[in-house]
Amino acid sequence: MNNHGRDPFLFRTEHLSKLYPDGQVHAVEDVTISVRRGEYVAIMGPSGSGKSTLLNLLGALDKPTSGEVYFDGQPLSTFQRLDRLRVEKFGFVFQSFHLLPILTSLENVQVPMFEGRLSAPARARKAKELLELVGMNHRGNHLPQKLSVGERQRVAIARSLANDPIALLADEPTGNLDSVSAEGIFDLFAYLHREQGMTIVLITHDEEFGQRAQRTIRMQDGHVKSDVFCERRRIRTPMPPFAV
Amino acid sequence: MRFWTFVLKNVVRRRVRSSLTIVGMAVAVGAVVALVGISSGFEQSFMAVYQRQKVDLLVQQRGVKQRLTGVLDAKLGDRIAKVPGVKQVNSGLVDFTSMDELGPVGVMVQGWEADAPLMKGLEILPGGRHLTATDKHCVVLGQRLADSLDKHVGDKLSLFDNVTYTIAGIFKSPTVYENGSMVVLLADLQRFMGREGQVSGFAIIIDHPDDKTEIERVRQDIAALGKNLEVTPTAEFVNSTLEIRFIHAMAWVTSAVALVIGAVGMLNTMVMSVFERTREIGILRAIGWGRWRVVRMILMESILLSLIGGILGTAGAMLLARVLAAQPSVAGMVDSYIAPWVILQGFLIALCVGLLGAAYPAYRGAQLLPTEALRHE
Repeated sequence: MNNHGRDPFLFRTEHLSKLYPDGQVHAVEDVTISVRRGEYVAIMGPSGSGKSTLLNLLGALDKPTSGEVYFDGQPLSTFQRLDRLRVEKFGFVFQSFHLLPILTSLENVQVPMFEGRLSAPARARKAKELLELVGMNHRGNHLPQKLSVGERQRVAIARSLANDPIALLADEPTGNLDSVSAEGIFDLFAYLHREQGMTIVLITHDEEFGQRAQRTIRMQDGHVKSDVFCERRRIRTPMPPFAV
Repeated sequence: MRFWTFVLKNVVRRRVRSSLTIVGMAVAVGAVVALVGISSGFEQSFMAVYQRQKVDLLVQQRGVKQRLTGVLDAKLGDRIAKVPGVKQVNSGLVDFTSMDELGPVGVMVQGWEADAPLMKGLEILPGGRHLTATDKHCVVLGQRLADSLDKHVGDKLSLFDNVTYTIAGIFKSPTVYENGSMVVLLADLQRFMGREGQVSGFAIIIDHPDDKTEIERVRQDIAALGKNLEVTPTAEFVNSTLEIRFIHAMAWVTSAVALVIGAVGMLNTMVMSVFERTREIGILRAIGWGRWRVVRMILMESILLSLIGGILGTAGAMLLARVLAAQPSVAGMVDSYIAPWVILQGFLIALCVGLLGAAYPAYRGAQLLPTEALRHE
C-alpha cells in the first residue's frame, strides 16, 4: 500500500460494534482500541466476552455492524478486495489449526502462496524454509493426521507466514495444546515479534502466556475492561529452530 | 506445488468423497447413454430395414401409414411390373406373431414370393437355403431369432396356431430388427392371415434410381394405375410411416425421461459434494484466497469428476446394452451398438450439469464471509 507508515497505528478501531447473527446481543460493543506497528498484544477474557469477534473484525474476516476498523490508516470498509489484504498483510492462526487434511505439511504451507507471485519451485523452497523456522522440516511430507496437535499448530503458523505478513492474528493458538507444546508456540511468537518485528495480536486464556505480551487487553461482555501496557516485560526469545 | 496439482490432489486424496461423486455421475451418465443409445439404436435399426433393401418406391393403400393394415390386390403387381422404368416388383405381406418361447414380444413375419428380389437378396448362412416356390410350410429365420429360439436348419417350429414349419435356412442381416424377424412364402402368410390375394404393399426397384425426374415419372405412372394407390419414395416413407414415428416418439420420450433423471441425479451429487465443503471454503477464504480462485478450484474438480464419471458411466452403459441385447426376450429389438453422438451427448451433459451443479454452491460459499463459512458444520 502506498500509505505505508503514514499512521503510527497498524490497527485502529472506532466505536466498533458487532451484533451476533440473531441481531439481539452485542458480541462487541463500542470498542475503540489501537495497535501500534510491531506491538505484541494479548486479548484476554472469559468465553463470550467478544475476543474472537474483535480479532475477526481486525483481520477483515468479518464485517462490523457499526463503527470502523482502520488498517494502516485506511478504513477497511473502503477496501474493494479484503481477501487481497488478508493474503498480503495478515497471517491467521486458529485454535483448531484449520489445516487441509489431504495436504502434507509442505503442501499446506503453500496454499496461501497461490495468491502470490512465486513460481511453483519457489513456493516449495519457501515452504521448506518456513517449516524449518517452526522446527517442522522433518515432518514436511506428513499429513496433519499423522502429526501431534502441537506439530499441527506449528505447521499452521508456518502457513500463516507464507506471504510475509505484517501482522499475525491468532485466536487461542494454544487452546488445544498441552503445556509443553504451548510453551513452544509462545516461544515462536516471541521470536517472530522480537526478531522479525512482527505485529502480533493473539487471544489466550492462559494468564501466564498473556503476561508475556507487551500489552494485555481484557474484555468482558463485549467491552474493553482494561488495557495494560508494560514495555519492560521480558520476552524470552529463543532462536530457531524450535524444539517440538 | 502448482494449482492444478492441488486440484488433482483434492480429488485423488479424498477417495471416499470422489468415488461417491464419480459413482453418482457414472450412474446418471450411464442411464442417459444406455436409454438414449438403446432407443435411438432401435429406431436406426428399424429404418435400416427399408434402406438396406435398396427399394426405391413403396406402393401402399392410400391413407394407410402402417404396413400391417394396408390392403392391396396382389394382381396389381403384374401391372406395376409393366410400367416403363420399373426393374423389379416385390409383393409383400407383413404381420407380427407371438411365440411362446419369446414371451410377449412380437416377431415380425414377412411374406414374400420365392422369386422376389428381396427374398433372393437375403444372405443365407452356410448349411441353409433360400425358400423356393415349391416349399410347403418352410421358413427362413433371422440369425438372432434363430439364436434366441435355439433353432438350427432342419429343426421344426410351431407357427400360426400350431402349424409345424421346417427351418430351411438362417439369414444374416446387418440390421438387428431384420435379424430378429422371419420370412415365409407369401401364399403361406396370406392363407394364415385370411388375406388370400392381398398384399400389404409393393416394393419397387427401378432402372435408374439416381435420376430424380425418372423416379418422379415412374411414381406418377404407378399412381395412375389406381385411385387408392399411394406411391412414396423410400426415404420419405421411412419418415412418415406410423411405426417409425411411434418408435421415434418412444425413443424421444425415453431419452427425455433419462435426461431429466440423469441431470437431476448429477446436479444433486455435485451440489451436495460442494455444500459439504463450505467450511473448507471458509478456511481458504480466511487465509486469503479470492472468490474466483475458490470457484475455479471447485469447477476444475467438478470437471475432472464429471469426466471420470462420464467415462465409467459410458463404459457401464455399453456393457449394459450388451447384456440387454443378449437377453432372449428382447432379441431382435435391442442393438448393443451405441452411436458415438449418444456417447458425446452423455459427456456433454455430464460436463454441463457437473459445472452447473458445482458453480452454484461454490459461488454461494465464496460469497459468504469467512467467519460464516468457518462456522458451517
